[in-house]
Amino acid sequence: MKYLRFFTIILFILVSQISYALENNLEIKITKNLRCLICQGQSVHDSDSEFANSIKTLVSLKLDEGFTEKEIYSFLKDKYGEWILYNPEFNKNTYFLWLLPILMFLLGGAIIYKLFIFKKKKLY
Amino acid sequence: MPSLIGFYSLAFGSSLSFLIIFFSIKNFRNSKIFDKRIIFFSLLQLLLVFISFFGLIISFINSDFSNETVFNHSHTTKPLFYKISGTWGNHEGSLLLWLFVLTLFIFLFIIKSQRQPTQYRILTILFQQVIIVGFFVFLLKSSSPFSYIFPVPKEGLGLNPILQDPALAIHPPILYLGYVGSSIIFSSALSATCLNYISKEWASHIKQWVLISWIFLTLGILLGSIWAYYELGWGGFWFWDPVENVSLMPWLALTTLVHCILALEKRFILTSWVVVLSISTFTLSMCGTFLVRSGILNSVHTFANDPERGLFILIFLFSLIFLALFVFFFFHKENRKIDSSIFLVSKETSIIINNWFMMYFLSVILIGTVYPIFLEVISSEKISVGPPFYNNLIAPFLIPFMLAMTLGPKLKWIKSDIKDKIYLFTFFLISLLLSILIIKNLEINFLLNTLLVGFAFYLFFITLRDFFVMKYKNLSQIIAHFGFSLFILSILFNNIFTTEIITNLKVGETYTSEKFNIKFENLNQKQGQNFKSIVGRFTIVNSKGKVETLEPELRIYNQPNITTSEADIRTNLLSDRFITMNTVQNKDYFNIRYQIKPFMIWIWLSILLIATSGFLSLLKKKYEN
Repeated sequence: MKYLRFFTIILFILVSQISYALENNLEIKITKNLRCLICQGQSVHDSDSEFANSIKTLVSLKLDEGFTEKEIYSFLKDKYGEWILYNPEFNKNTYFLWLLPILMFLLGGAIIYKLFIFKKKKLY
Repeated sequence: MPSLIGFYSLAFGSSLSFLIIFFSIKNFRNSKIFDKRIIFFSLLQLLLVFISFFGLIISFINSDFSNETVFNHSHTTKPLFYKISGTWGNHEGSLLLWLFVLTLFIFLFIIKSQRQPTQYRILTILFQQVIIVGFFVFLLKSSSPFSYIFPVPKEGLGLNPILQDPALAIHPPILYLGYVGSSIIFSSALSATCLNYISKEWASHIKQWVLISWIFLTLGILLGSIWAYYELGWGGFWFWDPVENVSLMPWLALTTLVHCILALEKRFILTSWVVVLSISTFTLSMCGTFLVRSGILNSVHTFANDPERGLFILIFLFSLIFLALFVFFFFHKENRKIDSSIFLVSKETSIIINNWFMMYFLSVILIGTVYPIFLEVISSEKISVGPPFYNNLIAPFLIPFMLAMTLGPKLKWIKSDIKDKIYLFTFFLISLLLSILIIKNLEINFLLNTLLVGFAFYLFFITLRDFFVMKYKNLSQIIAHFGFSLFILSILFNNIFTTEIITNLKVGETYTSEKFNIKFENLNQKQGQNFKSIVGRFTIVNSKGKVETLEPELRIYNQPNITTSEADIRTNLLSDRFITMNTVQNKDYFNIRYQIKPFMIWIWLSILLIATSGFLSLLKKKYEN
């Protein structure tokens, strides 16, 4: 109980100190989800290449024009293809990509249930 | 000359494989005593491969450009340290290193396994020799590190500057120790399956190899991330890049194996599953080598690739998988006599839950890495699978996973009950409350982040308490789980509280914001051994008046002529301050990227802690013996 009280006090003091006001920067979020097409595996946000810089300018322009996040993605997709989006859309090409892991998880659960839990009920 | 010795000792070493295989088969038929000649020839093979590898190192040190590998990857002005590390910084040399570690490990295995049955030892050597022969053929046929060039060039082409870095110099050998360690697990599991020797004794014997590979793989991945963090200049340490993923996949499989080998050792359950995991760990390591070397992947890491080599590794890989499947389906007998049923609330259940989630994480990464390749082949449409995909699919599942990590180790084998319910519940409430307090004012996904932080705190507190209360009982488990909670917490806070500024500055200008001012003081020139550098001097004054000077660099390497941006990082226990500068074409200002990254050092420390726990577990095993 001693440790408990000690850590609680310390942590609450620490937490009250945290007063970050985060600039929720949509531009950063968007550019992090875009691939820099001329780089090797870097996002537009992380790269300083000319291509990346022009896309950054483009994104901030489009945001000023009042485009939403989704509209910017689809605009860039039409221009450069799906290759530019790091977050693959859910469409006929990617059903398996998104659903297969979930299916694997469920399948794993089913196997465990069948092999272990079920048997236990029968035996005991 | 060293190249010539290297080549001949490699060729001679390969022929020894046939002697070893011959004597092993002979000994296998009449296996009363272990044939000492096998030990002798294995040692000789190890020495020859070492001489060969050493010859290549000497060629690199002497800048012997009559050797094609040296010519392609070295330069006379390179510092000695990077001349040496250049030996494995390329395709041919790194394969020779693979082979060297392979022969080293099988020799250690022979010495360390003297208390095991003779037939099992011999069969393991045979399986391992299959892998070794494969690598010999690959090295001698399609990627010899000792090819000649005539006329001898005066100067080499140099090593890619981003590889000239201390962390990356030792990253490949450490990672390979992990990868190759899994080959021993592979051979041993196949051999034990053939001889129906999968047992508690086998489990406690192979556990050491599992731990050793796991420790090295963990450290290898850690070094790679640290390198990416300060060398690539964008302040991240993990990008879910395909090549990072292929190193994480065997790690996940190994971590699963570390857990369920315990269940096999203590309770003799999950036998088939342990064999499957042993096979897949090595297969995934080989896949890693194949994917990196074949150039299929688009990534920062693909420096050397060649389709023909890719094809060879692919065929080799499929033969090994085929061999493994054959052995598994024809020889493996599930022992049905032993009652393998388990109670719902027991350590066994928690290990199975661990395995279940680990396999899920593995499948997310596997599908995310491989799917785009298949899609492109089938429909020629190119898609990218990046960080958002992995974060979306993995983060929510971490919540129940961490709960299982917290409560699982509290359970006992066979049948158990949760004790200390009041304690556990109080800690849970405190963690959740704390997490709500931190997250509530931030404009991020409230539910997901609160739960993630809350459950990570919960794991953190419980393991911390256990550390003091349990009096070093099961110390390595507590440290590993504590390390994991620290790891998740640091990553979360690092992500949530990162501050980042990107701006353009000329010399003398100041960037001003509410939190800090960045002043670009001046530019200096510096001369390195094989590069010239421009050093910028920045003074950063934060809102509390604290002054800090940071000096990022731009390096212009002579050969190959590449400019790299070297970050300057100030680290303390609470945060890293990270700055890089880059030139902008035809402009007189520089592009400045300044980041404050909280708890950065704790990410590295927590992984070190996790690796240490493996080491402790290894020591404990020895101590008990």
